[in-house]
Amino acid sequence: MARYILNRILLMIPTLIFISFVVFVIIQLPPGDYLESYISELQSHGESIDMAEIERLRAQYGLDQPFLLQYVTWASGMLVGDFGYSFEYGLPVTDVVGDRLFLTVIISIFTIIFTWMIAFPIGMYTATHQYSWGDYGLTLLGFLGLATPNFLLALVMLYFANVTFGTSIGGLMDAEYINQPWSWGKVVSVLEHLWIPVVVIGTSGTAAMIRRLRANLLDELDKPYVTTGRAKGVPPFKLLVKYPLRVSLNFFVADIGSMLPSIISGAEIVAVVLSLPTTGPILIAALQSQDMYLAGSFLMFLALLTVIGVLISDLALALLDPRIRLQGEGAR
Amino acid sequence: MSDHFVSRKPFDPQSIEAITPEQEKLFFASQWKLMWWRFKRHRLALACGVLLALMYGSILIAEFLAPYALPTRHTDYIYSPPQPVHLYHQGEFVGPFVYGWQYNLNMDKLLREYEEDRSQIYPLQFFCRGDSYSVWGLWESDLHLVCAPEGGTLFILGTDRLGRDMLSRIIYGARISLTIGLLGITVSFVLGIVIGGLAGYYGGWVDATVQRITEVIRSFPELPLWMALSAILPVTWSPIWVFFGITLILAMLDWTGLARAVRSKLLALREEDYCAAAQLMGARPARVIGHHLLPGLFSHLIASATLSIPAMILGETALSFLGLGLRPPITSWGVLLNEAQNINVVAVYPWLMLPVVPVIVVILAFNFFGDGLRDAADPYRS
Amino acid sequence: MTRLAAASRTLWLGRLTTLLAALFTLDARALSWQEHDYLQSRVASGELPPINQRLPDKPLQDPLHGKTLGQPGGTLNLLMGKAKDTRQLVVYGYARLVGFNEELLLQADLLADYQVEQGRIFTLTLRPGHRWSDGHPFTSEDFRYYWEDVLNNKALSPFGIPNQLLVDGQPPQFEVLGPYQVRYSWDRPNPDFLLALAGPRPLYIYAPAHYLKQFHQRYADPQRLVQLVEQAKTKRKEWTALHHRMFHPYRFDNPDLPTLQPWLPTTAPPSERFVFERNPFYHRVDPQGYQLPYIDRIIINIASSKLVAAKTGSGESDLQGRYLEMSNYTFLREGAQRNAIDVRLWRTSRGSRVAIYPNLNATDPVWGPLLRDVRFRRALSLAVNRHEINQVIYFGLALEGADTLLPESPLYKPEYRSAWARFDLKHANRLLDELGLTRKDSRGIRLLPDGRPMEIIIQSAGESTEETDVLALVHDSWLEAGVKLHVKPTEREVFRNRVFSGDALMSVWTGLPNAIASADMTPAQLAPTDQQQLQWPMWGNYYQTGAGEAPSLPAVQQLMTLNQRWRDATNMAERRDVWQQMLTISSDQVFVIGTVARVLQPIVVRKGLNNVPEEGLWNWEPNAYFGVYRPDRFWLDADLREAE
Repeated sequence: MARYILNRILLMIPTLIFISFVVFVIIQLPPGDYLESYISELQSHGESIDMAEIERLRAQYGLDQPFLLQYVTWASGMLVGDFGYSFEYGLPVTDVVGDRLFLTVIISIFTIIFTWMIAFPIGMYTATHQYSWGDYGLTLLGFLGLATPNFLLALVMLYFANVTFGTSIGGLMDAEYINQPWSWGKVVSVLEHLWIPVVVIGTSGTAAMIRRLRANLLDELDKPYVTTGRAKGVPPFKLLVKYPLRVSLNFFVADIGSMLPSIISGAEIVAVVLSLPTTGPILIAALQSQDMYLAGSFLMFLALLTVIGVLISDLALALLDPRIRLQGEGAR
Repeated sequence: MSDHFVSRKPFDPQSIEAITPEQEKLFFASQWKLMWWRFKRHRLALACGVLLALMYGSILIAEFLAPYALPTRHTDYIYSPPQPVHLYHQGEFVGPFVYGWQYNLNMDKLLREYEEDRSQIYPLQFFCRGDSYSVWGLWESDLHLVCAPEGGTLFILGTDRLGRDMLSRIIYGARISLTIGLLGITVSFVLGIVIGGLAGYYGGWVDATVQRITEVIRSFPELPLWMALSAILPVTWSPIWVFFGITLILAMLDWTGLARAVRSKLLALREEDYCAAAQLMGARPARVIGHHLLPGLFSHLIASATLSIPAMILGETALSFLGLGLRPPITSWGVLLNEAQNINVVAVYPWLMLPVVPVIVVILAFNFFGDGLRDAADPYRS
Repeated sequence: MTRLAAASRTLWLGRLTTLLAALFTLDARALSWQEHDYLQSRVASGELPPINQRLPDKPLQDPLHGKTLGQPGGTLNLLMGKAKDTRQLVVYGYARLVGFNEELLLQADLLADYQVEQGRIFTLTLRPGHRWSDGHPFTSEDFRYYWEDVLNNKALSPFGIPNQLLVDGQPPQFEVLGPYQVRYSWDRPNPDFLLALAGPRPLYIYAPAHYLKQFHQRYADPQRLVQLVEQAKTKRKEWTALHHRMFHPYRFDNPDLPTLQPWLPTTAPPSERFVFERNPFYHRVDPQGYQLPYIDRIIINIASSKLVAAKTGSGESDLQGRYLEMSNYTFLREGAQRNAIDVRLWRTSRGSRVAIYPNLNATDPVWGPLLRDVRFRRALSLAVNRHEINQVIYFGLALEGADTLLPESPLYKPEYRSAWARFDLKHANRLLDELGLTRKDSRGIRLLPDGRPMEIIIQSAGESTEETDVLALVHDSWLEAGVKLHVKPTEREVFRNRVFSGDALMSVWTGLPNAIASADMTPAQLAPTDQQQLQWPMWGNYYQTGAGEAPSLPAVQQLMTLNQRWRDATNMAERRDVWQQMLTISSDQVFVIGTVARVLQPIVVRKGLNNVPEEGLWNWEPNAYFGVYRPDRFWLDADLREAE
């Protein structure tokens, strides 16, 4: 087991190096650089431009350096915890990301819980009542969430929440709580605003989860041990929950790796529409304005999350399920 | 010992277990036939399949189905809400007709307000002459399924800010939106099979490399990849090439899932005896993969491909939202939805959000259809 | 008439004596100043000196002509799209050395007075007793520091002195005439100088020396500086980077940087909410003896720019113009029924809302000469149905015509606007026929001499649907002249680069930046002076850098000469004459094809917020958006002030 873990960890290193290079290439791919997009932004509002300042910034930001040098500086900086500098904010990347990360994680956790709360009962019901009207109806409901473009759903919900409940539009809390220490009022305000993003982001993931749970459960329910159990008179619900559900849960564990990054990145557009103080809007804005170190470090962070997540879920699976562990050992 | 003898008569399987004609039909049926039988039992999937076939059929005759041509503008009917189609006039059956459609300008709110003019009745015309168009670039025609009666208007789903008929735009938009999924999936299908097939068949370092590449691609949030890739599409490309480019981008990021599925299936299948037999008989890898291994998993592949088409369609709408995908004057559902993406539409002109309906319908249909296919893909299961 | 034109009246020595006299009358005046509730506790605790010691000896008495007298207090909420938009408060605040008033005449603002001699010698007089927002006196030392230690420091300003301070490449001679007086003099007139000082993004010629010296190598204690540099959140660990980081007067993001604006930042980025607080040392007072601004606090909430209209409609902004468009008006009016907001319609003041720029520097061997032929440009302009555009997109409320000045400008003449701007397809077709473009293909599209169909690709930065819509309408009417138009939306950077390089035949952008100009504002926007001018980027670049291609068209060369004549002119009549000539040439030559102008701009104002004009102009230059309307005069009704 120890060797297996070590091996997996060592494999991560070349992957990460490779990813970091690809990230850097990708954020440099679009034509122009940050200062050019800064100029055009000023222009689109009709503002005047101080060309001397632009030239000074170009030199100061090192945008005139060759590509490889910029990459090496950035990549080696990350090793010692220096994630580069955000041109847009004029601050180190770590300062910009700061507590946005915290709110992002909160939203993600709520979203995962929400998804599970909906997906589990529906998945179990549809698996046990295959091809019934209930199966079709509930699956349809789940798919509706998947099929509606998130950004439109978000905008519509935002508008009606404002008209009917008077919730302030967008954001994650009422304006007066921003930059304030946490208090009861702030928590309530956050909860008031939280449901819209959670529902919007959650609904898109629910359908996939329902379908996979249903498929896995169906596979298990066909197995002889279930038949045996049923023959021996085990109550139906216990028969469902005791073994088949547990076995089909494996895929949830296998999913942990990709879950967090996919929720963070899947929520990006929604977060932009809802103007959430999470990491998504920063990432998109950074990509659009070619704030390259901010965007790059962000992407690296997400990639790292995935790679680590995959590792954890592999290890967890190996721990949980002896069959996989044996296969894993046998393969080498 | 002499009691034993070998019968020289040909073996008659019926002598052991008689099979009925029905059984014979079942046992000798081809794999595809079995799948079809099984698929047929899944009513909803069947219905969705038919629906999809109809929708794809419609893109061939979009010009005929749409009441107006794509560029037609009605500057007197801007932001018209959906115009109701009536059957009865003052309790009397007239057949489908519309009333006159008038607007007055509310200069206080800067809003065009529409109302029916009940004194005028315009019965709808079917198979009628309207805006002219060219049929598949071959000949000119001006035949439409339904068009506005002489002197009247027919905006079943309303009009947009330039007075363009939404129904016609949705019908034309289907062309791009539906094909983008199909084209994209074809590309990712080919990529997935070839790359996954090589990895699965050869194993070893090929497999390891492919594994790493897929891991890298999958550990990327897809949004930035889309953004970066669409930003590098050459600016000199014509809209149609941009369209292909976008399709290609969507496909480039989609093949990894398929490749993984192919690989793991192949890893299992290549240990089967029939595969070893083929190899021993000197079959080349291409033949072994293409002729012996792929058919074993083809049905699964089709099913999973069907299920990823919706993701492509949604991907196109998301890209359009970011202003990176297709842009006007090209008309796709994503472009239409992008134009609906502001508070004015939600609050004042909600009918502009209607393109979301075909998107939802197509995605649901593909999902149910794909589900049915997948269930049917394993015809030997109980 | 402006102060600028009425140059050299009094000797500065005389001025100084009156100032000194004013010093002695200080106590008598000071009795009438009234302290603010908002600052009361800080004054009581001794943190702030009392009001009479915070105001300059002679504060600027704002007569509030035509405005209501207000009561101080309350908070104003604004919405912005990005954290960097905090700079808008420098624009809105509009405290300048000299600034425009509502009639767009230049007046001394931070300065007590200024003198101009021969258009080249500028004597600026400060207000004795005027203090930075931290209480330190604002004196000529602040000008000296900026001139000697910032602008002329090779390390801090590696690219030298800004263009507006150069005449024929020569910097001014700078003199300190006294603690409250400085002088800038050039050999030839510098008409840009005062305009730049009054700009929405002002030219800075002063800096809070007492604060910045701690970051300056020349003044700071070396060990302490090393320490500060080490702690600084800059990309490069150098003292110059630190100095720049701390001195961003336009970005307005350093709460410690002393300022002279009416409100000062108290929130350091990054944040989603920026709180600005009244400047206790601000130099303006109202007739009742209240120090301005009336409003105590301004809060900027950051929201995605796409959401600003939605949030404004639901009453989340007290004063909003930025990110609102005319198409939002109906929605905002509906919001006004539910929330206590008032939606007003101001007007934009660009020469044209959407303008088509034929690229005179296009490199295509066939298209290039065609675009440089005035008949072709006139034909295209005649083939635009401006009336339809106005009706369809702007409810008939915009002003149709060429891309030129607006009636609000004292230089306006109706013939500029109507030149080649009526919809006349017959005339357009005749002009195109004259050019020899008579062959047509089966679609009725004219053929170029080399046989290509006349399909023009218009580059667009894809900013707004409005642009696309206008072009869709232009497309139809051009088609009737046998010219087919394609819109090619691209990224902004790509857009600019393709225009600059001459690859793009035509582009679309907004029209003349300042269409309400008076004769003493620079006419440079009409002549090739800037690469950013999309109709002649290469010639503009030639003017700026001397590199590349010099203007080849005689009419354009004439514009260049006229522009130089304006710069050298010292009297109003000559300037007006130059302007009129340049306007005549521009409209006759149709360098830019205009559509409609004076498009309405919704401005949302909280009910109970006073002194915001019912009608106004919404533009960057010269109005600085709300700037010339002086937001420091805006005040809130009692119930809104107490809602705190």
